[in-house]
Amino acid sequence: MEKVLITGIAGGQGRLLTRRLLENYEVCGVDVVQWKGHPRGVEIHKVDLRKKAFEDVVRREQPTAIVHMGFIRGFDQGEETRHDVNVRGTKQLLDHCANHGVQQLVVVSSSYVYGAFPENPYHMDEDCPLSASRSYPEIRDLVEVDTLCSAFIWKYPHIRTAVLRPVNVLGRYVHSMAGRYLRQRPRVPSVMGFNPMMQFIHEEDVSEAIAQTLERGLQGVFNVVGAGEVPLHTAIVETGGTALPVPEPLLRRGFDFMFRWGISSNPSGMLDYLKYPVTLSGRRFVDATRFRCLFGLPEMFDSVRQ
Amino acid sequence: MAREQGGAMAALRDLVGAFTPLAVRKLQTEIDDRLAKIPTHLNEYGYDAYGFHPDAAKRSLLPTALLYRYYFRAEVNDIERVPEGRVMLICNHAGQLPFDGAMLGTAMVLDAEPPRICRPMGEYWIPRIPWFNVFAARSGTMVGTPENCITMLDDGEAVMVFPEGVRGMNKLYSQRYKLQRFGLGFLRLALETDTPIVPVALVGSEEQNPGLANLEGVGRMLGIPALPITAGFPLLGPLGMLPLPVKYRFYFGEPLHFEGDPNDEDAVIQKKVDVVKSSITRMFERGLAERPGIFR
Repeated sequence: MEKVLITGIAGGQGRLLTRRLLENYEVCGVDVVQWKGHPRGVEIHKVDLRKKAFEDVVRREQPTAIVHMGFIRGFDQGEETRHDVNVRGTKQLLDHCANHGVQQLVVVSSSYVYGAFPENPYHMDEDCPLSASRSYPEIRDLVEVDTLCSAFIWKYPHIRTAVLRPVNVLGRYVHSMAGRYLRQRPRVPSVMGFNPMMQFIHEEDVSEAIAQTLERGLQGVFNVVGAGEVPLHTAIVETGGTALPVPEPLLRRGFDFMFRWGISSNPSGMLDYLKYPVTLSGRRFVDATRFRCLFGLPEMFDSVRQ
Repeated sequence: MAREQGGAMAALRDLVGAFTPLAVRKLQTEIDDRLAKIPTHLNEYGYDAYGFHPDAAKRSLLPTALLYRYYFRAEVNDIERVPEGRVMLICNHAGQLPFDGAMLGTAMVLDAEPPRICRPMGEYWIPRIPWFNVFAARSGTMVGTPENCITMLDDGEAVMVFPEGVRGMNKLYSQRYKLQRFGLGFLRLALETDTPIVPVALVGSEEQNPGLANLEGVGRMLGIPALPITAGFPLLGPLGMLPLPVKYRFYFGEPLHFEGDPNDEDAVIQKKVDVVKSSITRMFERGLAERPGIFR
């Protein structure tokens, strides 16, 4: 039986993926926090990706495949730590893949790397430039990670590497930017006069997409798109909230102030994602896997509402 | 409380409805019927993938339909030449404000058989304007990037393009019915997607707001693409931008099919663009000869 190592295994998405993969794979994982009550037979190592101890784990476990989703996606621990963990951690992981006979790598990036701009076309494909840092410099580490891993595909063609860029993930277990934003209900601040189309995907569908990527040994960069798109305000209402439109200059200053003093962990750069559409085309992934998502938009919104 | 408010709103709507002239109510029913005939792919919340929402479009179509029927008294010729499936409508652009785009879109809904939604390929700044960006998206407008245009054509939609752009919209009265330089992008996209081009000549719009001068330099300093001086603007303020009640006459040409390399040199593409331009110019001649006057 092939062995899969999951980074960030104790997060919501990591747990769901573990359950999905256990039928066909031996699973082990690393994370910086404990997963109490993890399934029997799953070895969890509490290590930092940047440390030598992580290389020892890879050397000892000898995984055939690694699923990399051990990223810091919030800003609670400070921008510098976040950047270092995400970028240097990924660099180390790529080196270990090359040095310790890992045959397959799946990296879970995100749709945010494209950036939110007024001139964005609808249904962007994987060849669109990754411009997020132009308006949202705080997440440039995600762009760097994505670029590092895409370059890895060409450097080590014998390792089957896939970079997945799922759209906004919603669900009961996963901690995503979109989920955190919608859970601010009953009143969810939005930018006055803007209501862009947004795509969502259910956490179980993301797990399924990762599993299919592993099973089919995909190589390349793929957008992973869910059941469809709705305007932001529809998503807010359907998840049990009411939109609270605030004039943009006020909202931007408020965000900057709260971010600087640590009251909120959202930089004002994220406001562009509430103004302009970032919608992706998932055609390449569907063509490669015949992937069809199982959860529709109403079910996703229900999972946040509860 | 919320329900009481809803009830009050409904009562107010009924009251307004009771005083609405019969013609307006009839026109709204006609719009609803025509829109219902148009096949669209809507999700469970009533939106298509690009933010188009037929219910919102119904409401926004009423004012333009009123202008179309009773202000510009639009007349269409040979609209049946627009083929089924993907098509590009290429039209002249004039009149300081883009009423021509709204009226061409309305013509395709009210007077084409079967009715069609014509996707305007909008300016890049539209998404930046609060409220207006939402209104534009709900009524079917998309940012005019090449990618969006290809997506729409691949979906078999009708797309309208004004290749003169601001050069045409803010042309002077002395330049009326003289086509300005056409952008070449539309023809490259037509070649890439194998889309038939229907040239459209609009007679009337070129006299709706005679431009006397265009202070482009000053406009650019103010951050707008043009600063037209017309008989009424800026003398009468924003009112001066309103069009005169000219009569709109649309002439639809035979569909043109082009073949070739979409990435060919500009000079090669230009020759094909000139075919489109000369077709529009010929229709201008016919329209100007036929019409009894600017306003009737």
